[in-house]
Amino acid sequence: MRKHDPKNGEEPGGASRRDFLRGSGLAAASAVLTGAATTALDEARAADDGPKVLSGEVEITLKVNGEDRKTTVEPRSTLLDTLRNRLDVTGPKRVCDRASCGACTAIVDGDPVYSCTTLAVTCQGKTIETVESFDVGEQGVPHAFHQNDGLMCGYCTPGFVTACKALLDKNPNPTLDEVRRGLDGNICRCGTYIGVLQAALDAAKAMKGA
Amino acid sequence: MNAFDFAAPTTVEDAVKLLGVPDAEALSGGTDLLGRLKDYASSPKRVVYLKDVKALAGISGDATDGLTIGAGTRLADVLADKAVKESYPALWQATLEVGTPQIRNMATVGGNLLQRPRCWYYRAGNGLLAVKDGKSLVREGDNRYHAIFETDGDALFVNPSSLAVPLIALGAKAVVAGPRGERTIAVEDLYQIPKSGKDSELTLAPGEVVTKLVLPPAKGLNASYEARQKQAHDWPIVLASVNLNLDDHKVASSRIVVYGVAPIPWRSKAAEEALAGKLLNPESAAAAAAASIAAAKPLSMNAYKVGLTQTVVKRALMVAMGNRYWEG
Ligand SMILES: Cc1cc2nc3c(=O)[nH]c(=O)nc-3n(C[C@H](O)[C@H](O)[C@H](O)COP(=O)(O)OP(=O)(O)OC[C@H]3O[C@@H](n4cnc5c(N)ncnc54)[C@H](O)[C@@H]3O)c2cc1C
Ligand code: FES
Ligand code: FES
Repeated sequence: MRKHDPKNGEEPGGASRRDFLRGSGLAAASAVLTGAATTALDEARAADDGPKVLSGEVEITLKVNGEDRKTTVEPRSTLLDTLRNRLDVTGPKRVCDRASCGACTAIVDGDPVYSCTTLAVTCQGKTIETVESFDVGEQGVPHAFHQNDGLMCGYCTPGFVTACKALLDKNPNPTLDEVRRGLDGNICRCGTYIGVLQAALDAAKAMKGA
Repeated sequence: MNAFDFAAPTTVEDAVKLLGVPDAEALSGGTDLLGRLKDYASSPKRVVYLKDVKALAGISGDATDGLTIGAGTRLADVLADKAVKESYPALWQATLEVGTPQIRNMATVGGNLLQRPRCWYYRAGNGLLAVKDGKSLVREGDNRYHAIFETDGDALFVNPSSLAVPLIALGAKAVVAGPRGERTIAVEDLYQIPKSGKDSELTLAPGEVVTKLVLPPAKGLNASYEARQKQAHDWPIVLASVNLNLDDHKVASSRIVVYGVAPIPWRSKAAEEALAGKLLNPESAAAAAAASIAAAKPLSMNAYKVGLTQTVVKRALMVAMGNRYWEG
């Protein structure tokens, strides 16, 4: 791992932290560089001629399940590792870490995405939803998975439940084919697909009963 | 993954400026770049995030005047566009099965066009051409997913972009912004066959950003057809896009482009010539498909792609005619 070099915080051309914040689409004060870099930036702010280059450790705020969570990451930190290791939000699972299995699925600004292949620094100012926030009552997706034996080892389950919730949020009346396509981005090594598909259809019905 | 500096500009100008240092790389959806960083196939010192550049996203225009698709437009938004679906079905059909729903929510058109090859020897850190001690790892190794055309050289990977193929068939142009201003090039000119290990398969100069794709007015017939081993989570094995201009039912001009067979999106001039001046029907489609594979030189494990290419080219032409006989 490369050592944090606060001097890197200055280039190019002494751009301002304010512009970086603007660039990330969030309000000022929700992201700050730490320590010496902050001082360097304060000095550079006067120049105000371009977006900020971040390096080393970065303090960010992520809106996870309705709550603003402040933490420190590096630019290279993925959303998945940040959720799991920094914020203790362990619903999203790390399986392939290569955008190929769906276990890490989170809902960002309403769309299901792979959190293993998303940088945390790009998620500031966005709404992040994970399985922790879902309704666990009889109208919720988790209950439908339970009722339909939609899991065996359970490792893929949070990802499936999340993809399923995202699908039903957009399409409350999916056909079986639409469910299949909507859950295409998730893989279950235990082969619980029959239960998963039925759970999605049942959850759609249960939600309407709510 | 190595550490890198990170910037998120909001204008194309700033993006170009930030990319104008050695070892900088753009980041859009990240579905290609992040995997490469994790595998140490790429290790940029600076990553410039383009998705906050709002001017890069969105679709405008129509089939009559031509369509402009921002390079930052997500694949999910391409699929949701009525003009694409109705008038540029070659593009819509080729985008439909790319990756997974999550990938289509993340990936952008620009990133799709500029994603790097998926050759496993390249991804494992053996360089783009994967030549070690004078020997080609691909030629001597597992080359089941590699090229069948232009295989005399060392570049044996296939271009991985599903969207390049229909965009080239449709005659789309890419608008490129760089340190020396803006230029417009044909989408096929984004690609080249690297001659040595120092070359890239992409032609963009350092610091250049694709800002938009400009599609000419939709005339004639266009369609795509692909063969996949798995229905999700994977690239096609072979995909063909066709764009045909008819004059009195005869093919006045055509573009036939094939994915999965060469280090660049493969324009089959042989198939286009076979079709020129012919009535468009199942017989001429079959003849063009046969012509498309005449120059194929498969590797040790991928001769199956030759027959597959013939079938896929024929079926793409049949889809353009509205005849999906294999579904009946
Ligand atoms: C499981 C899986 C299955 C897949 N299946 C398919 C498939 O069937 N067909 C297919 O085509 N692809 C497939 N892909 C690849 C995926 O479509 C691409 O990774 C994606 O389209 C790249 O877009 P992105 O925005 O995520 O690019 P990024 O990963 O952000 O960038 C890719 C490259 O393009 C450069 N770049 C991005 N935007 C610009 C720009 N505007 N100007 C200049 N350079 C730019 C970046 O620097 C980088 O080098 C699959 C991927 C996975 C993980
Ligand atoms: S862990 Fe993210 S897709 Fe597999
Ligand atoms: S329940 Fe084990 S992977 Fe799906």
